[in-house]
Amino acid sequence: MRHARIVFDGRELDIDIDPNDRITTSEGEVLDVALDSDQITWLPPVKAPGTIFALGINYADHASELAFEPPKEPLVFIKHANTLTGHKQVSYRPDGIEYQHYECELVAVIGKTGKNIKREDALDYVAGYTVCNDFAIRDYLENYYRPNLRVKSRDSLLPMGPWIVDTADIPDANALKLTTTVNGKVTQDGSTKDMIFDVPFVIEYLSKIMTLNPGDMICTGTPHGIVDCQPGDTIVCSIEDVCSLETRMVSEQEFYGDKY
Amino acid sequence: MTANTLVNSKLVCVALNDKAQLAALDGTFNEAPYKKPPTQPVLYYKPRNTWSVDGAEVEWAKDFDGNDVAAMAVGASLGVVIGKETCRVSADEALDYVGGYTIVSDFSLPEESYYRPDIKGKCLDTSAPVGPEIVTADKVANPNALTVTVSVNGEQKSVFELANMERSIAELISIISRIMTLQAGEIIAVGFAGDRVAVAKGDKVEASIEGVGTLNNTLGGA
Repeated sequence: MRHARIVFDGRELDIDIDPNDRITTSEGEVLDVALDSDQITWLPPVKAPGTIFALGINYADHASELAFEPPKEPLVFIKHANTLTGHKQVSYRPDGIEYQHYECELVAVIGKTGKNIKREDALDYVAGYTVCNDFAIRDYLENYYRPNLRVKSRDSLLPMGPWIVDTADIPDANALKLTTTVNGKVTQDGSTKDMIFDVPFVIEYLSKIMTLNPGDMICTGTPHGIVDCQPGDTIVCSIEDVCSLETRMVSEQEFYGDKY
Repeated sequence: MTANTLVNSKLVCVALNDKAQLAALDGTFNEAPYKKPPTQPVLYYKPRNTWSVDGAEVEWAKDFDGNDVAAMAVGASLGVVIGKETCRVSADEALDYVGGYTIVSDFSLPEESYYRPDIKGKCLDTSAPVGPEIVTADKVANPNALTVTVSVNGEQKSVFELANMERSIAELISIISRIMTLQAGEIIAVGFAGDRVAVAKGDKVEASIEGVGTLNNTLGGA
């Protein structure tokens, strides 16, 4: 089963999507609308977002692309809900920068509170999986708490969704094809099998430091194949059997409107 | 996260905002891994599992083998509580967006490196008491003139005048609001004394700011 949050017909709804793409609300109402309909506005799929953990350089080929040695322990940074947006929404490119790239990532959504979780029990704490695009702006990188908040904590630069797939429906999260297209052209073509630290490892690692709670998310990093994105570009991040996340880039002025 | 935390949705902390600390580290900043001094505020989050309250016990951290860590430290900061949605504001208008002030104590492992996000050091459960209350902004005439003190078991260990911050409260709000839209109830810990105070199991820690209050916490593990 898949789970999402949408606005439809003026109502904010929690929905389940069955294998035949039939949509049922949490009140049991069946919605007569197709999944790809423009009548659906997709919200970030986690209803009460908690702490968002993201991994840097967690694919060996991406590490070499960035001229880094693969890390010996996870490089983790934190993001908050201001960065989230939904499927088919917009993300912005700041003015006056040279290089902003997408990062297509598998996300594990925590469903149960835990501390000191063993690797072998870790998936019991995962409610499901989704896809995110953890945009980065390389111009803003500095070697202080890198990747710093100026790079990774900006509004709208973590599109997520469209839905969460139950953990039980993904027998092996480390055997999934991962692709990104920009304006229809494939620019990233990898597999979650190349992840350095998998979801159970990261859950064991983080939960030795702190308590994980429902609504926390773990974004697991991106493989080789990043390119600059410009306003007007449409970026689609896809992970096999999970979902495809579409984002349109806009300028900073278009994004902030009156607040620009 | 305690149920009665004063923090709503986000606690942003500013590291390396003590001019004396920046001066002392100046040579280091030109070496690897930093290579050059920071050009922007150095920010980190204390996530929700860390949020705690006045009077609460702070857990003594464990290492990865499950043993008690050898050392912990504390720093205290003025907590600037955002009063309304704050998006891309100028420094001149920034203080109009402040709803109130409080105190943030940041318990952590000793700060050893600023190169990577310090998840192991900073994200410990219950390590960010905030309180004792939120004093409304109209009660604090000049927040940049406040002094933050930290005492351990009744002995004063640290005095930090906010006048010695590299960036003022208004500058920080302006810069941060151009990274992220801040919401009412979110808190910025604007600056800590560069020298963190070493603490031991069972220590009683008092963080005080005249006119804002005193935040009392006790280290666990004793």
